[in-house]
Parts: sequence; C-alpha cells; structure tokens
Amino acid sequence: MIVANDEATLRQQLAFTDSMIPERISADPEIVENGLAKLVLSIIELIRRLLEKQALRRMDAGNLSDDEIEKLGTALMKLEEKMNELKRTFGLSDDDLNLKLGPVKMWE
Amino acid sequence: MDETLEELSLLEALDHLLDRGVVIAGEAVISIGDVDLLYLGLNIVLANVDAIVRTGRK
Amino acid sequence: MKSVIIGAHLQRDDIEPVAEALAVGDLFLSGLPVADDQPLGDRDLLLRVAKVRAALLDRATFIAIRYGFAGSPPEVASKCAAHVERWRALLEQHRDEVEMTLKVVAPEQQPRPDRRDFTSGGEYLKALHAATTAVDVDPDFRAAVENAIGKGRWLHRDQASLEFAALVARDAVERVRVAGEELKQRFPRVPFLLSGPWPLEVFADDRGE
Repeated sequence: MIVANDEATLRQQLAFTDSMIPERISADPEIVENGLAKLVLSIIELIRRLLEKQALRRMDAGNLSDDEIEKLGTALMKLEEKMNELKRTFGLSDDDLNLKLGPVKMWE
Repeated sequence: MDETLEELSLLEALDHLLDRGVVIAGEAVISIGDVDLLYLGLNIVLANVDAIVRTGRK
Repeated sequence: MKSVIIGAHLQRDDIEPVAEALAVGDLFLSGLPVADDQPLGDRDLLLRVAKVRAALLDRATFIAIRYGFAGSPPEVASKCAAHVERWRALLEQHRDEVEMTLKVVAPEQQPRPDRRDFTSGGEYLKALHAATTAVDVDPDFRAAVENAIGKGRWLHRDQASLEFAALVARDAVERVRVAGEELKQRFPRVPFLLSGPWPLEVFADDRGE
C-alpha cells in the first residue's frame, strides 16, 4: 500500500537505495577495461557513502567516545579528499559515478 | 497505478529490503580507528564484482 | 546450496509453502534457495525476494532480516543463535501488528558542511551529524501524522528527509491508508510517502536503526 503526495518531488528528493545497487555490468573484456576506472571509483564512492552513513548512525546512537569521533571524522575527511583527487585525475564527475538501476519497470 | 507511483512503490520495496531490518551478516566489517562499522551494502557490491570477475575468466 | 535469508518467524506454517523454513532454536527462518555462485547484487533476485517478503507478511508478522546474507543451514544457525531469544519475545509481543512508515521531504535541504572549513575530524563529523538531525518539517504536519498513524518513532536518515515509523494492528492498515489520503488533502504541498504494511524492521533492530 502506498499513498504519495507529489510523486515527482518524492522521486527526486528521497534517497532511495537504488543508487547503491550497481548496474548489471558487462563481462565483455573490452567494455570492462574501458569502464574500469569508473567502476573502481564508483565502488570506492559507494563505500565512502556507506561509511559516512554508518558513522552518522553511530553518532545518533551516542555510543562513540570523543577519541573515536575524532578518528572517524578524520578518516572520513581524508577519504572525501582522496575521492575528489581521484575524480580529478580520471576526469570523472559525480554524475559519472552515479550508480543507478536501469529504467525501472513494473514487476509482478 | 500510474508509472511514477509504480516506480515509487518498487523503490520503496527495495529500500525496505536493503536498508532496514536486523543485520546478521558479519563478514564484511570495516574498522576505522578501532571503531567497527558494518556494511551489508558492501556485501552486495563485492558479491557482484566477484561474479563479474569469475565470468570474465571462463 | 545456499539460501538468501529473509526473516525470522514464530511458526513453520508462517513460512511454508511460500519459502523454505529453517529451524533455529525455537524459531524458524525463511529462506530462498539460490545457486552457490549467485551474486547477491542481482536486481532480479532482489525483486524476487521483495515479492516473497510481501507474501510472507500476508501470512504473519515476522522480524525482517536485512538483505545480504546467504548461507547453508549450519551457517545460518550460527549467525542467528544469539538473537533467537530476543526475536521470539518481540514476535510474541507484536504478533498482530505490522510496521507502517511515512517519509517526508524537508522543505529546506540542510547544506552539507564543507570539510575544508574544519581542521578537526571530530568537529567535522559532529557538524555532519548536526546537519542531519537539524532536518525538520512543519510541526502541524508532524502532529497530523502521529494522529493519523499512531505513536511511533521519528528517524533522521539523511539531510533531506524525515521518516516516521509506527507499529499498527494488522486490521488497522486500511484505516491508516484512509488517514493518509486525508493527510494528502490537508497538506497538498507537503511531499510525503506513506507505505506499508512492512514486517518488523525499525522495531526489530536493537541498535535503533
């Protein structure tokens, strides 16, 4: 059952986890090689997002010591910095790294 | 149901499947500075990459 | 042969014949058998599991186990043994209830703190956290949601939306749907998504996720 108000905004603004599921990737060696940097960086970016999300949940739960918060925060900052460096090196934008399901179809 | 509503319904179902519920898979644990952060999403990604690599080798 | 684990249920009948039942302690886990080399990140598999989940919920309320674990019966048993007592108590307590959730888009996105403004990692993480918890919506709407659905929990999942989760009696789902339609009429400019019924998800996780 679903009741939705303003479907367009919902689809745009709500963070559904579909962006976390990798597209079915071709096993054709040539295609895989060309897309390798994008694939690798997409996975690293996914990991970074998941790490951040989980760190925030631990903050919510309030069970981190000051020392742990400092270490986590620093690691997240460095990870973010590294990702930006890598994106610049490979000339990839955030859009390029967006992992999404293909066109969503009706399921029975 | 019109198309957008169908899509939302599908996304909701997947969101509830992937982002909620009790976590029992414990293999993929990443620690940062001794804090264990557990990622199920990672299991899915790694499992997918592994399958691709194995297919490529055949 | 491995099985994708879906949920924890009180009785074998709550599972069969929709899915495979694995006994663990006093409870039964539902599973979908898949080939050993089946990748879990497969969209078709995800859709199949989502469908089975809905069919299982039709039979009885269960504890939702997050997607991502597939194993043999002994592996499953070892992963779940420690949880069984707690799960059994929850299942007995909420036998006739299901979860309903309502997501609402916040009117203003909290700007994401820029890491370059911080020298301390701890301060950065705290700022990120503050941006997430600062998300809020019209108090009238909040009150109306609680009136429509019942007592529940408000959760901050990200910086652009808020989520409400509540347990309602199984036979109250239709009433909640009607109340949702009324909310639509009363708040035409608030983008929200009411969905359900769901198995025990938010209310099953002892880490309060």
